[in-house]
Amino acid sequence: MKKMLFFGLGFIGITASTALALDLTALVREIEGQYNGRSSLATMQMEVSTAHWQRNLQLQAWSQGRDQFLVRILEPPKEKGVATLKIDKQVWNYLPRVERTIKIPPSMMGGAWMGSHITNNDLVKAARIEEDYRFSLQKEDEQTWTINGIPKPDAAVVWGKIVYQIEKKRRIPLVVDYYDEQERKVRRISFDQVETIGNRTLPLRMTIVPQDKADERTVLTYQQLIFDLELDPTVFSLGRLRTP
Amino acid sequence: MLLTLALRNLWRNRRRSLLTLSAMVASSALLILALGVFSGMFADMLASGTEQYHGHMVISARGYQEDRDLFRTFAPSDINLQTLEARPEILAAAPRLRSFGLISHRTQSEPAELLGIDPGREARVTTLSQKLQKGEPLHAEDQTGALIGSGLARKLGIDIGGELVILTQAADGSIGNDLLTVRGIFASGDRHQDNALVLVQLGWLRQLLVLPNAQHEIALRLGEPLLAAPLADTLATSLPAGFEVLDWGDLLPQMRDAIAAYDVSRLIMVGVLYLATGLGILNTFFMSVLERIREFGLLMSLGVRPWQIRLLVLTEALLMGLFSLLIGVSSGLLLTWYMAQVGVDLSDYISPISYAGGTILPRLHAVFIFDNFFIPALLLLLISLLAAFLPANRAAKLHPATALREG
Repeated sequence: MKKMLFFGLGFIGITASTALALDLTALVREIEGQYNGRSSLATMQMEVSTAHWQRNLQLQAWSQGRDQFLVRILEPPKEKGVATLKIDKQVWNYLPRVERTIKIPPSMMGGAWMGSHITNNDLVKAARIEEDYRFSLQKEDEQTWTINGIPKPDAAVVWGKIVYQIEKKRRIPLVVDYYDEQERKVRRISFDQVETIGNRTLPLRMTIVPQDKADERTVLTYQQLIFDLELDPTVFSLGRLRTP
Repeated sequence: MLLTLALRNLWRNRRRSLLTLSAMVASSALLILALGVFSGMFADMLASGTEQYHGHMVISARGYQEDRDLFRTFAPSDINLQTLEARPEILAAAPRLRSFGLISHRTQSEPAELLGIDPGREARVTTLSQKLQKGEPLHAEDQTGALIGSGLARKLGIDIGGELVILTQAADGSIGNDLLTVRGIFASGDRHQDNALVLVQLGWLRQLLVLPNAQHEIALRLGEPLLAAPLADTLATSLPAGFEVLDWGDLLPQMRDAIAAYDVSRLIMVGVLYLATGLGILNTFFMSVLERIREFGLLMSLGVRPWQIRLLVLTEALLMGLFSLLIGVSSGLLLTWYMAQVGVDLSDYISPISYAGGTILPRLHAVFIFDNFFIPALLLLLISLLAAFLPANRAAKLHPATALREG
């Protein structure tokens, strides 16, 4: 009888803590989807600096949910019109110079996207992070939550661990660190320039720094961001990839 | 006197001498043939590993062959090709530029290596453009032509005249993209080359990569590929700082190991075969010495010194060795020559085997290598002397009186 009571109390305890706990998966989903909304249209600047080149691109991007995404280069003139279309797990590039579309094969998904420190995989896998990883609260203080993402046993993932630092008050990301399978930090994305757009508060600038080349970076700055607009579904098609 | 006596002794028991001689001749001739064919197999492997793609030796900026970093380039003016080709050991030199990218045809895309070549020069260094299954080699005036591997062509579903879309990252970070036309499809037997290599024009690739006036390596063809390692060292000292010279052994370490292992197994083969031959000779000479105990006793009582007896038996052995060497080596050479000229085609029974970075062709084909004759010949003489040493000792230690009585 005593044992049963103990068991019962324990059970109530577990239920209570689950109910009170922060839903980490929902929080990560919210963070990862912060630029998407139901749909979005964005104009952004991407500055890439590496040991060998400096690039400054002007981009325009459309998204529908998290699975459809189109981005087109506006500037520089040499690369104007180069576009990337993502639908679910597939990525195509359109090359206006030769007027051809290339589908990125799975073996090339780890390759750099548009000469930046973003990979094709980032475009594809970001939409599935909360399906592929299990999250736990590593640390909590007055201002921030630190959340660990560890891949689920059978998930096909790129990162061995992802650590989010999230500001509690505005529920926005501050820093996200990406680790490989040996627990070495591979890159860091930091966020700043927080603005309120419509009813959303979000950082408009993200800086990606590969940890093995600390003086290289890609800085992506949102200059204009419109959410929840009505987009023609044909925006996300191979036909529209070719003809803007 | 000694020589005449030895000859006469050998002649006296013709049958035994001839039998021993034939064993020695057969073993040395067959050994020379086997070594020639074995070496031929490795020569095929080495040729496929080096002459198809790498070249016998490659000059590049230090570290390039390790990471194939796009930016480790040098200018054509840094190393003069004519100066290289002026060296007697170097038959030809060819500049190259390399990049990795995505190639696509209709809806299929595959990752591939783009190797920018100067077709005229490349054909003198490597043989890939002679392994065309279909189509024709690249011509200098056709800047947007390409040769692709047969496996890649199959995966892309492309044929001669088909259009290839190329996508890669240029040296200025921009997206390099262009169209090429397939002019030829090569089949080398090497899986990497057939499945993931595209040969393009050097000038075209420089433009695509925004690397005007740059190259990654100079591939060399040598007269004597097996002497590449020492030449690489001398060449390295004559080049400006920051360059390295790698021979095929550095580029294909598995191949170097395979060939080193072959050298050892060659010695083991010689050893085993000659051990058997040596035992045969030992047996013959013991028999002939035991038969002649009375004779030796007579010689000794006539005043012949023990060392002269020993010398006599050894001379007999040396003569046998020389005879069999003469016949054995010349028939070995003849057999090797036949296998080098005609050979045996095995392609009906086995297919090419990829091994240690090279391809072993389905044929028996011999090559002439000095060591393959010299080592067996030298060892044959040594073995016959060694095998005769014990019987000779035995004969020399005889006591004249006992010998006469025993005989």
